Amino acid sequence: MRRWLFPLLLGLVLAFVGYHVALAQFPRVLMSLATHRIAKGAGYNAMFAAPLATDKARAIVRPSPDLAYSSCPFDLSKGPVLVDVEPVPAPYWSLSVFDSRTDVAYVRNNIDAGNQPIRIAIAQAGQPVPDGMTAVRVTGTTGIALLRILAPDRTQFGAIDAARKKSSCKALS
Amino acid sequence: MKPWIRYAVCAALGLALGAGAAIQHVRTGVFGASRAIGPWTTGSDFGTARAGAFTRAVVSLRGLLALPAHEARYYNAAVDSAGDPLDGRCRYRVSGGAIPAKWWSLTLYDHPGYLVANQANRFSIASAAVPNPAAWDVIVAPAEQAGLWLPTGRIDRFELTLRVYLPDDGGLGTLTRDRLPAIVKEGC
Repeated sequence: MRRWLFPLLLGLVLAFVGYHVALAQFPRVLMSLATHRIAKGAGYNAMFAAPLATDKARAIVRPSPDLAYSSCPFDLSKGPVLVDVEPVPAPYWSLSVFDSRTDVAYVRNNIDAGNQPIRIAIAQAGQPVPDGMTAVRVTGTTGIALLRILAPDRTQFGAIDAARKKSSCKALS
Repeated sequence: MKPWIRYAVCAALGLALGAGAAIQHVRTGVFGASRAIGPWTTGSDFGTARAGAFTRAVVSLRGLLALPAHEARYYNAAVDSAGDPLDGRCRYRVSGGAIPAKWWSLTLYDHPGYLVANQANRFSIASAAVPNPAAWDVIVAPAEQAGLWLPTGRIDRFELTLRVYLPDDGGLGTLTRDRLPAIVKEGC
């Protein structure tokens, strides 16, 4: 039995390590899966205007049925990504940028922006961004820029849907 | 058995058990469980670097892409005001008053966090639909109800999420129990 003492101690230490490593990796793995799943809509570095969420929606957990989501799954491995949001005739809209760890690197709503366009460049540290653009620095190469638009009445969604499709997302290079 | 085999077996088992325990811990975690207020649970560090590893993991599983507190607060209920699990075959009255924010909505989800199929294709009630924001009732029930009705789709267990957008306090505080809606079971 004594021959198992140190191997069992090693197992206990590695169980502790395994718990914390798994916990730390959980958000990265789920974020990576979600980014990949959303990219099936229009690809990376492109804005995808998803329909209003229903019980069939499975791309993102806990979607809000009151919000129209346009999302840009970004990949910065070849350089910054530019996001251009045009105002939408809705009582609330916002742009948020989530990095690969699920942290919010940027959020700005229509009230903050005075209902004016929002133009940002998502970039990693050290990547140059064009003059005059707001640089949003993120950790990791991938993530999601998300445009949320309040659609208080589903029957009048057409105007919001048309307006939100003027927003864009594209790689700088 | 050679010594290195004993070490290898224990190391592999230890890593697997640790990782499995973490996954199980996160899977049983509740969205926003860092603070309980009556039937509601919430957290104030979603989407921020302040979020601990466990909170971050649970949010990624139960509410990925949640906004930080100054933009939106999320309150989740899996039980009623008496502490009993929310049952989709029962009728509940959700009663609330003025919520200090730009707008709010109450959404019904299944346990994994997806919207629930129902005959009315209605998944939430938003503040814009409430005639009197200072005193309102939403009936959560499987069959159609007069007034503001949120269908349960007759599922066994459901959850309610109250989203509070642009809270008046900038997300610095948390709604108190008397500011949050009561969830009272009226029958099954």
